[in-house]
Amino acid sequence: MDFRPLNDTERRQLISALRGNAENDRVILMDRRDTTFLGTSEEVPDEEVINAIRSVPCHY
Amino acid sequence: MLQVLVSTANQLLADLNRSLLRERKPAARPRLVPAGPAARYQPLQRVLLTDGVGRTLFEEYAAHRAQARGEEETGWVLMGLREVNEAIVLATLPAGAERDASVAHVRFNSRAQEVGSRIVRQSDRRLTILGVVHTHPGSLRHPSDADYRGDHQWVRHVRGGEGVFGIGTADGEPANGALFAWQPRPHVQCLGELSLSWYALRHGDPGYRPLPVGLTIGPDLARALHSVWTVIERHADQLDRLYRQQAGVTFHLAEANATRGLIVNIPLAEPNTALRVLLAEDEVRYYLVRDGELLAAECQEDRVDRGVYLLLAELAAPS
Repeated sequence: MDFRPLNDTERRQLISALRGNAENDRVILMDRRDTTFLGTSEEVPDEEVINAIRSVPCHY
Repeated sequence: MLQVLVSTANQLLADLNRSLLRERKPAARPRLVPAGPAARYQPLQRVLLTDGVGRTLFEEYAAHRAQARGEEETGWVLMGLREVNEAIVLATLPAGAERDASVAHVRFNSRAQEVGSRIVRQSDRRLTILGVVHTHPGSLRHPSDADYRGDHQWVRHVRGGEGVFGIGTADGEPANGALFAWQPRPHVQCLGELSLSWYALRHGDPGYRPLPVGLTIGPDLARALHSVWTVIERHADQLDRLYRQQAGVTFHLAEANATRGLIVNIPLAEPNTALRVLLAEDEVRYYLVRDGELLAAECQEDRVDRGVYLLLAELAAPS
C-alpha cells in the first residue's frame, strides 16, 4: 500500500473533485482494484433531464 | 392466456429475430475527465448544431407546414452537451402529435419527450437539455414577451442557468433557393423561405441575446425515434413506469422490414433470459428470450406495463 503524500497537482484535483461533488453532485470515480482516485464523471442525472423536460413552458 | 408457446418459424418472427436477437452494443462508458476545476459554466458564446440536427429542424419544419395542422406552431426540445461556453446540439425531441397547439401557442407532449430522452441517453449519459426551438406563424424572428415570461423561469432547470432558444419562421426570401442553407447574420440560418433565429437567455437576464450558430458534422441521435414517435406517445406513461420500476430496461428500434416499432427489453434474473415487447403502430407483442431462443407469448394486453407484469407473474408461478 502506497501512503505517499499527494503532490500539488493531485491535491488540487482531489479538492476540485470534492468541491464538485458537494456543490454540483458530480460523481467521484474510484479504481475498484486499488481504491485510487480516478477522476470525475460528466454524467447528467436522470432527474435533472426529466425535470427540465417537464417544466418546459408553453411557447407563444 | 399467458402460456408461453414456442413460436413457429414464420416469416414475421424471422424478421423480428434479426432485430430482437442481434448483438447489443454495450452502452458507452462514461467519459472520464481529469479532475480539474469543477465546470464553471460561462455565458454561451455560440450554439453548435450537428448537420443531422440541422436537417431535422428544417426538414420537419417544412413537413409540418405541409400537414393539416401546418398553421399551428410546433417545436422541438434540444438535447446535447453543455460545454463551458458553448452548447452542442446532438438530438431533437419533437413536440409530438399529442401537443397542445394553435396558431398562437404550442405546448409539447412532455411525457413522450421524457421517454425519448431516456432512450437517447442510453448511449451517452452526458446528454442534457439545452433549450427549445419553436415556430412563429408570422415574421416575428424573436421570442415574444409571453415566451420570456415562461423561459426566464425555466432556464433555472438548464445546466449553467442558460438556455438556447430557436425561433422558426417561414418569411424568408429564398435568395439561394432551397439548394443549401445560408447565414445572413451570425445567429440566423435560412433555407428557402424557412429561417431559424437563435438566442440565449440566462437566468436573471432582462431579455434574450442573439446567439451565433455554427454547424459541425454529426448525427441527430433521436432522429430514428421520430419514425415511431406516435408509438412512444401512445405508451409513454406505461414505458416510463416500467423504466423506473424495473432494473436494466433498455429500448431499441425494431428494424424488421415488415414491422416498424419500438422494442422494450426487460432482463430477468436468470442468465441469458429476458422479456421483450414489440410496440408497433397497431399491436403489442410479447416475447421471452431464453438462451438465444425467441419464444412468443400469448398475451393480448395492450397496456405494456400490465402485460409485462402478468408475464412475470406467470413465469414466477411454480411449473
